[in-house]
Order: sequence, then structure tokens, then C-alpha cells
Amino acid sequence: MARYVPPVQSKLGQIIDVIVLVVLSVGALFVPLWLGLAGSAKLPVPVENPTWESLGQNPVMVQQWNKLGFPDAASAHDMITARYDYSFSWVSLAVMVIVIVGYFVMMIRFSDIEYREVIAEKFGEK
Amino acid sequence: MDTWNYIEYGAWGLSALFGLLILIDWIKIDTTYSEEMLTSSREGVLEAMTEKHRLEGSDGTL
Amino acid sequence: MAHSDTDVDHTAHGQSMGLLRVLGPAHVWALGVGIVLVGEYMGWNFAVGKGGAYAALIACWFAGILYSCVAMIDSEVTSTVAAAGGQYTQAKHIIGPLMAFNVGLYLVFAYTMLEAGNAITLGFLVDTVAGMTGHEGGLDQRPFIVLAIMFLAWLNYRGVLATLTFNLVITAIAFVAIITIFLATSPLLGAGEMLHKDLMSGQASLPYGWLGILAAMHFGLWYYLGIEGTTQAAEEVRSPARSLPFGTLAGIMTLLIAATLTWYVCSGLMPWEYLGDGVNGAVAPLFSAAQISGSSALVWLLGIGTLFATLASANGCINDASRAWFSMGRDHYLPAWFGAVHPVYRTPYRAIIFLVPIALIFALGAPLDQVITFSILSGLLGYTFMPINMIMFRKKWPLDTIKRGYEHPLHPLPAISLMALCSVTYFAVFLGYGTQLIAMIGFYIVVSLWFHFWRYRFVKRADQFTMPWPRPRGY
Repeated sequence: MARYVPPVQSKLGQIIDVIVLVVLSVGALFVPLWLGLAGSAKLPVPVENPTWESLGQNPVMVQQWNKLGFPDAASAHDMITARYDYSFSWVSLAVMVIVIVGYFVMMIRFSDIEYREVIAEKFGEK
Repeated sequence: MDTWNYIEYGAWGLSALFGLLILIDWIKIDTTYSEEMLTSSREGVLEAMTEKHRLEGSDGTL
Repeated sequence: MAHSDTDVDHTAHGQSMGLLRVLGPAHVWALGVGIVLVGEYMGWNFAVGKGGAYAALIACWFAGILYSCVAMIDSEVTSTVAAAGGQYTQAKHIIGPLMAFNVGLYLVFAYTMLEAGNAITLGFLVDTVAGMTGHEGGLDQRPFIVLAIMFLAWLNYRGVLATLTFNLVITAIAFVAIITIFLATSPLLGAGEMLHKDLMSGQASLPYGWLGILAAMHFGLWYYLGIEGTTQAAEEVRSPARSLPFGTLAGIMTLLIAATLTWYVCSGLMPWEYLGDGVNGAVAPLFSAAQISGSSALVWLLGIGTLFATLASANGCINDASRAWFSMGRDHYLPAWFGAVHPVYRTPYRAIIFLVPIALIFALGAPLDQVITFSILSGLLGYTFMPINMIMFRKKWPLDTIKRGYEHPLHPLPAISLMALCSVTYFAVFLGYGTQLIAMIGFYIVVSLWFHFWRYRFVKRADQFTMPWPRPRGY
């Protein structure tokens, strides 16, 4: 089989390739942040006139809160009542599964095409 | 201003210093050596060598 | 320092320039544990936030199983594939170029994000210490974040032996600090200040119910994330077939102990709501635990432990990320310019330089839990690759075709359990951080297409296969 000779990439081409990668990767992290879609938001569930009891804290917990620098229930209120929202729709779960599985299937397919070429050139055609 | 403010400036200064050290050496190396020489590392060259050594060194049973 | 790095010169044969083979098994341990140990000092406690203290412990142990599988699988493949790219090189030989490109990126992002997370923690620590010594009005954390990254980049630039010897020392100190706080606060030797029973009663036992246990797996990975980085040193280890499995497996045992002790100490001292909030609450939980204990000796020890753990980790991350980037440059997966080795220090110096600004962007611009999630996701994709890799490896080269330095037992059980645990973790990330998950996979899909249809044309075909292996079965 004829050896594949890759074209030589120009300096400019190399630089462009690097910029493309950097933009994509920075984008992947910051776009969800900028759009405010980052789902990590833990939201406090407000409790009127919080007391340690109404926040479900027993005396030992209160003692540790005090040691951590929270003198009263109001100061610890936001931290104690913050909760993740774990409700989700089965549709979005299905979308996630399809995206992940699809990604791996696509990757292994393409890899295999490229791999056969590598093996054929390295060890010769069968 | 207290000590910590000076420490902040110190940290900026040191960061710049380390950055500069890397930068200077980088420029020096890139201008002194040829590109072929710098990028001459090949994956598995060492493995192939040791592998060969073992084959030659052994009594042929390998 | 630089001199001793260049004393041992293995590249006498021929003109080509390579990395130096100078490391022993202790360095491998230090690289693996050094990267990960910071996970006990910060970050793992987000798992408490996602499911409560019990959930975090269960996640800790299930993640421990996951990583034992990772370590076993990795050790077997690495004991035969000894090259700087680690899993990248494995993927290239076993699955194919596109997979390898993706794995290389997983490594670079997992480590670079972890490095950024370390720098953020370090900045917080300096700020806290300043506050404790009476500094008013808060501190500008940025210079310390930048300094940590610059200093470690410089250290890495100067040579691998000095870098990892430095890591060995500071990792050992950070590990001893964890043991010490455990002994000092537990009823075994110390005053027995542990309050698990009361702190974990009522609503605090399982605040999110059983779903919380699943969700906690997300940050449960953080107890161990990065142990697989030991393979990255393969080209610089004196006898990889022996040192790599030994260093990696010793590392995972160290971490299992450290993780459990850390959980025990922290959950026994802090209410879960505080412990689980790693942004406004316990950014550095072991350090907070020391503060609560009221012993200033412990505060100092754990402060130093936290500092050393973040430095050791960032240091190892720079080491690993740059080697992965370098390997991809060397194969022209990335511009060939990155495949350069420093003629004096024998380090992949251009890769090291390039990754500095990337780490800075994330360390200065993103919140800690986002950075950690980015790192965990890249790691997780990498763990998903491993069982596929292992099954293909055994199929293409059965045990009798190539000699392995280490053969892992019970195949394919570890591969299957690893795959199952990965699926659980995807679901855990999906709970609460679904957008990032999709954004991240979207990113990898786009770059995969870019690689397959554009970048791959610059890659020589047969030259990628560098191992002295026979033809794979079925090809």
C-alpha cells in the first residue's frame, strides 16, 4: 500500500489551529456561565423569622455553627436552607443519554476507520 | 498599608520574575537550536532500543 | 539542580532528543498521590452538599471501587505501553487516532482545570491566613494565584526529577497532616471531639433521600481524581513495567485511607450545610476542621498541609497536562511546534509554556465548583474510555501475544464494574449540572469532527504505531 505523505502545515495554519482549539475550549466552560445556564444554582428556601429550631438544628449543631462564626440563625439561614433542585424531566435525561452514547459511538466508528489505515500501512495489507 | 499589602506586591513581582525567566530561556533556546533538533523526539524510540538490546543480549530464547 | 537532571543521558544513541529516564517507583507514587491528595483538602465536600454526609461517605467508597478498577486496568495496559502520553498513547495503539485525540484532550483539560482549582484554593488560603493575622478589608487573591502557577511552571520547565522530588516531599507532609488531625481529634488518642451522632441526625442524615447518594457520586470522584496520571511519567521512569503498577496501586491504597479519614474528621465537626458549601462555607474543609478544633498547632499544620497539597497537585497537573499536549504535538495531532523537547532540561517546554495562560484564564475567571466540574467531566469521559480500551486490548492482543508487566485479575469484571459506575456518575452530574455536561460533550463532538475532517490530514499514518507489538487480531 502506498505510504500516505501528509502535507506540511504552514506556520499560519498551525497558529490558526491552536486558536480554534483555545476558543472552543474556553467557550465550552464560559458559555454556560455567561448564559446563566450553569445549573449548579443552589437556591435558599426562605424561612420567615428563622430560629435554630425552625431550621432543624439541634443544640450540638448550633454549638458548631457558633464555632464557625455564625452567632445566630439568621446569619446561617441562607447556607442551611440552600437546596439543589433535583427534579428533572425524563426527556432531558433521554437527550443526555443519546448525546453521550452517540458521541462515543461516533468516535469509535471514526477511530476504527482511521485505525485500519494505520494498521494496513504499518503491517502491510493482508 | 500593612505587611500583607507588601506581600501582595511581592507576589506580583515574583510572578513576573518567574515568567521572565521562562520567557528569556525560551527565546534563547529557540534561537540557538534548530527546529529539527528540538522536535526530534520520537515516541517509542527508547522502547524500541531496549527491546532490541534484550533481543541481542539474550541467548536467542526471547 | 539542572545539572543533576542532565547527568543521566540516555539519548547517546543517535541524534534524537528525548525525555530523561530518571524516576523511580516513589516518584510515581508522589506524582499520583500528589495530584490527588488535594482532593481531600478541598472539593470532595461538594459531595456532602449534593447528598449529605452519609451520601458523601458512600460515594467515597463507591468511587474507591471505581478507581481500583481504573488503577488495575491502567496498570496492565501501561506496563506494556510505556510512553509519555499515558492513556493517549494507549488509545492510539488500541482504539484509533480520533479516540486518542479525544483522550489527549480529556487529560489536558482534566489536569489544567484541576490546576486552576488548586490555584483558587491557594488564593483562598492565603486570604484566610491574612484575615487570621489581623489584615483588614480582605486580600487581593490574584497575585497568589498567578504566582503559584508561574512558580510551578518554572519548576516544571527546569526538569522532571527536581519537580517530582519536590512533590514527593510536600505530598508526604500533606499526608502526615491528615493522619495527625485524625489522631488528634479522634477518641483513639485525642480528646474525642467527634460529634457524628448529633450532626448527622434528623434532617441531616439524608437531606435529599436516596437520590442524594447518587448525586453525591459526582464529587465523590474528586477524592481520587488524577491517580491515573501516573502513566504520564512512563517515558521518564527507569523501569516502567515494574514501577508504574507498583506506584499506582500503592497510590490508590494511600488515597482510600486518606479519603476515609478526611470524611470522618470533617463530618464529625461541621454541620453538613456548611461542610457541603465549598464556595461560601468550607472551601478548605480540613483547614476549617482544624480551626474548629481550637488547637493552633493543628491550624498551622493543616494550613501548611493544604498549601502543600495544592502545590503538589498543581505541580503534577502541569507535568501531566504538558506531557499529553507534547505527545499530541509530536504526532502532529496538534501543531508540530509543541512536540519540542528542551535540549538542556529535557522537558516538553513549549507545551508547558502554552498551558500557563490557559490555566490562568480559568483560575482567575471561573468559580471553583465549575472548574472542578469541568475537570471531573473530562476525567469521567476518560474513565469511560478505559473499559472500552481494556476489552479491545485483550481482544486484539490476547495474553499470549504480548508480555505484560502486570496482568489484572478477573477480566472483564473490573471493566464492566467501571462502566457501570461511570454511568451512575454521568447521572449524578446530570443532577444539578446537566448544562455543563451537555456543553462539555458538545465541545468534544465539535473538536472530534474538526479532527477527523481537517486536522488528521497532517498526521503520518503508520508512524503513529510505535510499540514493538505484533499485528492486532482481526485487522
